[in-house]
Amino acid sequence: MTPPEAAILMPPPPRAIGSLPLAVKKYLAIFRASLLERMTYRADFLLGTILRFLPMVTTILLWRAIYAGSGQQSLAGFRYREMIAYLLLTNISRMFSSMPGLAGGVAREVREGTIKRYMIQPMDMIGYLLVYRIAHKITYIIMSFIPYALLFGVCHSFFDGFPDLATLGEYALALAIAFVVGFFFEASVGMVGFWFLEVTSLLYIVMTLNFFVSGHMLPLDLLPEPWSGLLKLLPFQYMAYFPAVVFLGKAKGAELAWGLAGGVLWSAFFIVLSRVLYRRGLRRYSAFGG
Amino acid sequence: MNPLARSARYLRILRALAAHTLSRELAFRGNFLVKVSVEVLWLAIMLAFYKVVFARSSNVAGWNEPQYLFFVGCFFALNGLIEMLFLDNCNEFSELVRTGDLDALLLKPIDEQFLITCRRIDWGCAPNVFMGSGVMAMALYQMSWRFDPVKSAAFLATFACGVAIAYAFMVLLTSLSVWMVRNQSLMEMWWLFSSLARYPKEIFSGRWAEPLGMFFTYFIPILIVVNVPANVMVRAFDPAMVLMMLVATAALLWISRRFFLFALESYRSASS
Amino acid sequence: MGMIEARNLRKTYRAVQKQTGLVGSLRGLFHREYREVKAVAGVSFTIEPGEMVAFLGPNGAGKTTTLKMLSGLIHPTSGDARVLDHVPWKREDSFRRQFSLVMGQKNQLWWDLPAADSFQLHREIYSIPRAEYDETLSELTDLLGVEKLTKQAVRELSLGERMKMELIAALLHRPRVLLLDEPTIGLDVVAQTKIQRCLKDYHARRGVTVLLTSHYMRDVEALCERVLVINHGALIYDGPLAGVIERFGETKLVKLRFEGPPPDDLESFGELVRREGPFADIKVERARVAMVLAAILERSVVADVSVEEPPLEEVISRVFEEAEAAHDAA
Repeated sequence: MTPPEAAILMPPPPRAIGSLPLAVKKYLAIFRASLLERMTYRADFLLGTILRFLPMVTTILLWRAIYAGSGQQSLAGFRYREMIAYLLLTNISRMFSSMPGLAGGVAREVREGTIKRYMIQPMDMIGYLLVYRIAHKITYIIMSFIPYALLFGVCHSFFDGFPDLATLGEYALALAIAFVVGFFFEASVGMVGFWFLEVTSLLYIVMTLNFFVSGHMLPLDLLPEPWSGLLKLLPFQYMAYFPAVVFLGKAKGAELAWGLAGGVLWSAFFIVLSRVLYRRGLRRYSAFGG
Repeated sequence: MNPLARSARYLRILRALAAHTLSRELAFRGNFLVKVSVEVLWLAIMLAFYKVVFARSSNVAGWNEPQYLFFVGCFFALNGLIEMLFLDNCNEFSELVRTGDLDALLLKPIDEQFLITCRRIDWGCAPNVFMGSGVMAMALYQMSWRFDPVKSAAFLATFACGVAIAYAFMVLLTSLSVWMVRNQSLMEMWWLFSSLARYPKEIFSGRWAEPLGMFFTYFIPILIVVNVPANVMVRAFDPAMVLMMLVATAALLWISRRFFLFALESYRSASS
Repeated sequence: MGMIEARNLRKTYRAVQKQTGLVGSLRGLFHREYREVKAVAGVSFTIEPGEMVAFLGPNGAGKTTTLKMLSGLIHPTSGDARVLDHVPWKREDSFRRQFSLVMGQKNQLWWDLPAADSFQLHREIYSIPRAEYDETLSELTDLLGVEKLTKQAVRELSLGERMKMELIAALLHRPRVLLLDEPTIGLDVVAQTKIQRCLKDYHARRGVTVLLTSHYMRDVEALCERVLVINHGALIYDGPLAGVIERFGETKLVKLRFEGPPPDDLESFGELVRREGPFADIKVERARVAMVLAAILERSVVADVSVEEPPLEEVISRVFEEAEAAHDAA
C-alpha cells in the first residue's frame, strides 16, 4: 500500500531559453509552460476529483462511529465537529506541502545524467524546480477550488463559522510554511540521490511514515505522551497538523508564536540543508563523473 | 481445446510467470526488502490507529475491539493479495497504451485480459497476506474463537469472492485508461476507491449515509469485499449476504470482462 | 489463394487537434477539435506463399499501419484482408499461433531476465512441444551465433544481440507468416548482415512468407525480389525490385575516360557529376543515353566508357521527394 502522494509526477525538462537579460523573464516562461501542461489533464481530473471525495466521506462516517462508540463529547480536546474540520483541513495543508515526484525526479536526473544541463545552462536547479512546483501548485489549487468549495460548502456545519481576519493571516503564514518545509524537505531527500542511486525506496518509507507523523491521519494530540509531544517538535507536523490547528484557533498566543517560530526555523534549516547537499552533491558528481 | 486442458495450460503459464517474476525479484533483493518494510510500516500505522481509537472507545459501529482487529487483518491480507497479483499489472496498462507496447501482448495466442492483468506477481506484497493472516489469528485468539468448519469454509469462499470483486473493479478502472491516455495514476485511483472497503459498512448510517451505504453494497458492491468475509467469521453468519456475494462476484467478473474487451476494441479502432 | 491478401484496405483515424496558448488549452478542457488523418487510403496486394516482399515508403506513409492491420492489431476503416486464410482482426488463437510481428523499435523480451527465460515462457504461451522447441531453438541460436548469450540478462546485451534474441523469440513457434517492421534499425553493418543472412537461411529452410519494411536498401536488396512502394497511404508500385529502378530511375550514369582532357561542353548532355583529369561522369536521361554516347564519340576520342544504373537508395529517395512535392502542390 502506498499513500496517494506516491503517484509520481515528473516535471518536464526545462526548455533551453536564450540568454535573456532578466532571470525573472526566464522563470516566467517556465511558469507559463508548466501551467499549460497541467491544463491538459481533463477527464483524468474529473474522475480523480470524484474519487477524492470518497475517503473524506468514509473518514467522516468512521469518526462519527468512533465518537458514538466512545460515548464522549470530546476526545483529546477535539469535539466531533472539530475533528472532522481538522481532517478536512489537513487536506488543504497537504495540498500545499505534498510534492509528488520532486525527490524522485531529482534522483532520476542524477541517475540518468540529465542533471548536467543545470551545470551547462544558466539555471539553478533548485530555483527551476521551485518555480515549476509553484506553477503546478497554483493550477492545482485553482482547479481544485470548485470541488473544495463544494466540499467545504457541504461540510460547513462542521465549522464554527469563518475565523477572524487575524487567524486567517496566521493560517496563510502557516500554509506558506507548509509549502516551504514540504518543498525543501523533499528536495533534501532527493539530493541523497547523489550518494545513493536508488532513493525511490527510501522515499516510499519517508512518505508512508509522513502520512502518520504529520498528523494527516489523526490529530497528534490523540497520541499518548511522550509521542504527541515529540512529534510536535519535529518538522513533519508543519506539513499537515500545524496549519489545521491554526485555522481552528487551537493554537493561540504564546503557543502560536512558538509554533510559527519553529516553522520558520525548520524552513531555514531545510533551505540551507538542500543547498549544502546540492553543492556537495554537484562537487561529488563532477569529481566522479556521471 | 476442452476447458480442462485449457485451464491446465493457463495454470502452467501462470506458474511460469510466477517463477520468472520471483527470479527477477531475487535479482533485486534490496528492493524487495524495502518494499516489505514499507508494508510492515503500513501495518504498524494501521494498528497504531486502531490502538488510539480503542484506547478511547469500546466499539466502533458495533464492532468490538477483537472483531475490529480481525477486520483490519482481513483488509490487510485481502488488499495485499490484490496488490501482489494485479495492482502492478493494471497500473502499467496505461503506460502500455501510451507507448504502444501493448501491441506485442495483443499478438500472443492467449487471452488478452489474462496476459495483461496477471503478467507479473509483485512478490513484495506476498508477506502482507501472512501479516494480515497473523493479525486475524491474533484477533481470533483474543476473542477465544472456537473452530467452526462451516464458518471457516464460508470465510474462505467469501474471501476469494472479495478478491474477485476487487479485481473486477480494478479491471474496470484500468480499462478507462484507454481513453485517458495521460492517466498515469491507477495506483492513486485504486487507493481512493478502495478506501470504501477499509472500514465496517455499519458506519454508513444516518440520513444521507444509509442510502450511500446501500448504493455501495448493492449497486457498486465495493463495501461487501471485506465486510462479508469478516462478518461471516467473527460476527453474524448471514447466508443471504453470502449468496448475494456469490452473485455479485459472477456479475462483476462478467461486466468487467465485457468492458475490458470493449476498451481494447476501442484502442484497436482509434490507434494507427 | 495468396498467403497475404489485402483488398482496398483503408484506415482513417481522428487525431486531437492540439490548441496552442493558454486560452486554447483552457478551451481544450471542455471541447476538443479533431482532425481526420488518412493513414492508409485503399491498398490492395497479394503475396504468395514463400515470397519475401519489401514494403517501402517514407515515414508516415502508412507502412506500419498496414502491418498492424495485417496482424490484427487494429481494425481497418474499410476494406478486407486475409492472412493465412484468416481475417486478422478476428484474432483467433489458431491465427495468432501461425504468424509473428517483429518491430525493431519495440522490445518484447523480459528486460531483467535472460532471454532463455523469455523463450521458455514463449513456449508455454504458444504450446510448443518440447522436442520441437529444443530443435528450433538450437537451430536459431546456431544460425545467429548467440548460443552463449541466451543465459545473460537481456538488459546487458547490445542492441544487435537483443535484436537477434527478438528474432529468435519471433521464430520459435515456426510461424508461416513473418511481418518485420524495421528489423535492423539502429544496428551496425555487421549485425545487419548477420540478421539478413539468418532471415535468408531461415526462409530457404522453412519457406516462410515474409513482408518487411526497412529504411536500409541494403536489407531490401539482400532479401527481397519484389517490392511494394507506398506513399501517402497509396500503393504507387508493386513489382520486381529491378523494376523500381527502371520505373523511377530516370537517369543513368555515363562514365567516360577520354584520351586527353574532356571537352568543355559536357554539361549540355546532362548533369556533370565528376570531372577529374581524363575522367568525367554524367547523369543522362534514360531515353537519351544512346544519342548522347553517339554524339560524344563522334567528337572526341574516348578510351573507356560504361553505363550504370543509379543506386536504389537514390532512386527511392527521389521517388519519395517527388511524391512529397506532388502532394504538397495538390
